[in-house]
Amino acid sequence: MKEKKTGLLKEKKADLLQGTLDMLVLKALALGPMHGLGVSNRIAQITQGVFQVKPGSLFPALHRMEEAGWLISSWGESENNRRAKYYRLTKAGQRQLKTETEDWQRISLAIANALQAT
Amino acid sequence: MPLLPRLSSLWRNLFHKARKEQELTEEIDAYLELLTEQKINTGLAPEAARRAALLELGGKQQVKEQVGEARIGYQLETCWQDIRYALRMLRRNPGFATVAALTLALGIGMNTAIFSVVYSVLLRPLPYHAPEKLMALFSMRPQLNSFRSVVSAPDFVDWRAQNRVFDAMSAYAFNGYTLTGSDLPERFSGLRVSANFFQTLGVKPQLGRAFLPEEEEAGRNRVAVLSYGLWERRFGADPGLPGKTVSINGENYIVVGVTPNDFRFAPVEIYTPLTFASADMSDMARGMHSLRVIARLKADITREQAKTDIENISRRIERQYPVTNTGKYGNVIPYQQDIVGDIRPSLLVLLGAVSLVLLIACANVANLLLARAASRQREIAVRTALGAARWRIVRQLLSESVILSLVGGGLGLLLAYWGTDALISAAPSSVADSTPGWKQIGINPQVLSFTLLISFLTSVVFGLAPALQVSKPDLTDSLKESGKSSAGFKRQRARKVLVVAEMALALMLLIGAGLLIRSFQELQQITLGFNPSQVFVADVSLGNVKYRETSQQINFFQQALQRIEKSPGVLSAATVNFPPFSGSSDRVFTIAGQPEPAPDAIPFANYRVISPQYFRTLEIPLVRGRAFTEQDAAGAPRVVIINEALARRYFPNEDPLGKQIKIGRYMEANPLHTVVGIVGNIKHRGLDIEFEPEFFYPISQTPVRFSSIVARTQGDPLSLTTAVRNTVLQVDKEQPLTRPRTMEMAISDSVTQRRLNMILLGIFGALALALAAVGIYGVMSYTVTQRTREIGIRMALGARRRDVLKSVVGQGMSLAASGVGIGLLGAFLATRLMETLLFGVKPTDPATFGGIALLLLGVAFLACLIPARQATMVDPMVALRSE
Repeated sequence: MKEKKTGLLKEKKADLLQGTLDMLVLKALALGPMHGLGVSNRIAQITQGVFQVKPGSLFPALHRMEEAGWLISSWGESENNRRAKYYRLTKAGQRQLKTETEDWQRISLAIANALQAT
Repeated sequence: MPLLPRLSSLWRNLFHKARKEQELTEEIDAYLELLTEQKINTGLAPEAARRAALLELGGKQQVKEQVGEARIGYQLETCWQDIRYALRMLRRNPGFATVAALTLALGIGMNTAIFSVVYSVLLRPLPYHAPEKLMALFSMRPQLNSFRSVVSAPDFVDWRAQNRVFDAMSAYAFNGYTLTGSDLPERFSGLRVSANFFQTLGVKPQLGRAFLPEEEEAGRNRVAVLSYGLWERRFGADPGLPGKTVSINGENYIVVGVTPNDFRFAPVEIYTPLTFASADMSDMARGMHSLRVIARLKADITREQAKTDIENISRRIERQYPVTNTGKYGNVIPYQQDIVGDIRPSLLVLLGAVSLVLLIACANVANLLLARAASRQREIAVRTALGAARWRIVRQLLSESVILSLVGGGLGLLLAYWGTDALISAAPSSVADSTPGWKQIGINPQVLSFTLLISFLTSVVFGLAPALQVSKPDLTDSLKESGKSSAGFKRQRARKVLVVAEMALALMLLIGAGLLIRSFQELQQITLGFNPSQVFVADVSLGNVKYRETSQQINFFQQALQRIEKSPGVLSAATVNFPPFSGSSDRVFTIAGQPEPAPDAIPFANYRVISPQYFRTLEIPLVRGRAFTEQDAAGAPRVVIINEALARRYFPNEDPLGKQIKIGRYMEANPLHTVVGIVGNIKHRGLDIEFEPEFFYPISQTPVRFSSIVARTQGDPLSLTTAVRNTVLQVDKEQPLTRPRTMEMAISDSVTQRRLNMILLGIFGALALALAAVGIYGVMSYTVTQRTREIGIRMALGARRRDVLKSVVGQGMSLAASGVGIGLLGAFLATRLMETLLFGVKPTDPATFGGIALLLLGVAFLACLIPARQATMVDPMVALRSE
């Protein structure tokens, strides 16, 4: 598995990528409830290793989105029989994912067009 | 983002902190374990796996902090932390906190006090309907420099009929009313008003009704509206009063209404309709001015438009009636501006002065903060090294400033509460009565918001710069043991700059106070032209029913005078229609034997009606000719005495004695009086008003219905009050005596506002001086402490105490001198703003400037001397060892 060194390292890029991170977390959880490490693994998986989300970014994002009402958490048993906090999408979260996906597609289309223009 | 989950999260974050902390810890631990297991599964040994997992985590505490930052309510929490920390810091330094809070309390308190006056008097809208639409109309003669003269009845009627800009216009005139009946006869001030007076103001009576239009006519005008206070006091708040009859000035009036409780248009108790007799509307009456006029602008008309309209009407009247109206036009002034016009300049100067005091207080507190900075330096350096952002440190320091300010503001409010009480009671009654809103001065919501606002502003002003300065430590320097650093030098320089600024501001304030004091002194030195000491004054107004005949009027005053002259303690007594410093009245007059003057050059002078002993009672010198005697009686040849000013202006090249004058214009058929004497000039309308032409008629030949009694006594003039009152009652048992006073009281009252300004500005100046002295003492004291080692070395090497003294004092005095220099420049530029308040003194008066500068330098010298002497007490050995 190639590990690209891109990721959420620099302060300046953090804001831009916060929205992206939110979207990826929502997407990851759309596939089913998961605990923190699992979300991070899943994101790495579905982005083919481009985004390695560190706990320093992941946990704030998870808690923030939970406070916003997009996720809901509950304590459960992990695969190795330990206690872990599981996160799950709410209805609002699903709607948010849909909205952000549409926005992203619109934006990336626009930027692609812009870059192609001469 | 949906609101409800956010609010419940906020709640949980704030009030269930401990549980959330624990949960987060558990979550992170769980993550760590899972990650470790994951790494073990990829082939690492357990130890290595755990270490790798920890590395990837990046530090438990930091993750926790980052989560905390992302949480809702984070800012609130940190603010709350800042506040608690600030309180702890302040509690650790109670001395500093107390001094700072008290200093701020002084500055904020005084500002609040002055602002509450300014708000109530200048800013608050008048309690009438749409008060910005109310205009006061005056007669003006621009060439004669008169812009606010009362209006004549025919002019008023024409303005009212012909204008197109006013919804309503109403005239009013002050009048005296004697109420008789079951109680003692009482004399009240009242207004004769047009029927639509209350409607013009937009005021509805509390009880009954206002006047009807037909009640302006003679025969229907024996109706009255009473004030709420009178209704309560004399009629026991009788709800059935409207409809009842009362006896006013000897006649029966029906009370039709009572004004609302807070209606204070003027200090009057009774309102009756203003009726114009045919004599009041004659052509000649167009030149007799006695009315005040108030009007309400139409909804979409501006004051400028109204002014133009009235001017056009005036020009039409001027063409029709050139004799009385040449050069005379109507003037339109916003009513609110008219009534506060007199007091506005003083209030603004006081507001400016008190703001300066606040600035000086801020500078002192900033100095204190900078002085404390050295002790905070290390703490801040540590926090910065641990990763605190600069803005958070600044925010925390600012919260200390804000708390200081709020505490100072709270104490200041208390101060202001007492201060405004004192201010209101110290104000002259003329201001209190004629300035609406005066009685409402107090701590109201607007004043409270002002206090809060300036508390915050001051905290920023004095706190921001030190906070910025202190939060930027040079880490290596501050963490070292020694206290000397470049930041310390910068701070010291900042403190010196602040002290120089304080000195400059204090100087400007003191010069302002000094100029006012000089003005007051100049006023006191004015020659009055008469002897005011031990003179009793009181007023008598005869009713027009009982005293319709002139012989009745003369008879009353002669009898009263005879008895008063015989009273014990009375050296001499007289009557006069207007004694000095109690109002005035003027007439146009004509000199016999001269051609008709041009309409804008008609002679006019102050008009006095006196009994023969008047000049002797007031000790006014007779310059030429003779005074009045008993021979100048009703049927005898008519005589007049003039003063020097009249002689000089209207008889410049000839001898006035023997010439004849008559009241009124050239063609009026009034009796001629022969000039038999010339008396010296006296100050009449005010100490700061020039001598004006006056002429005196004997009361026996020109009776009046109202006059003042003046009597010279041996002892305290007020002791005559009961005697004179009883004498008057002996002559007429229904005749009240009003306003007993002494001449000196009247003169003193006329300058009360000046005196008040002077005292207030003096207090502010003294405070500013004290604050500045404390400031310079603080800075020099710190300097001495810093230089202890150096001074010790010097003294060990043989420097004498005198040299050390000179050095320290020299340093301090150079600061003071810069401050004085800048202050002199500032004062030079600023004092012209208070020119209207001065008298007999230029705004740039060198003596005042020089004197105050020396005063400030002297005080600064003393303030520097104390730390200087402490410096000389330094034991060289101790100094050398200390570090």
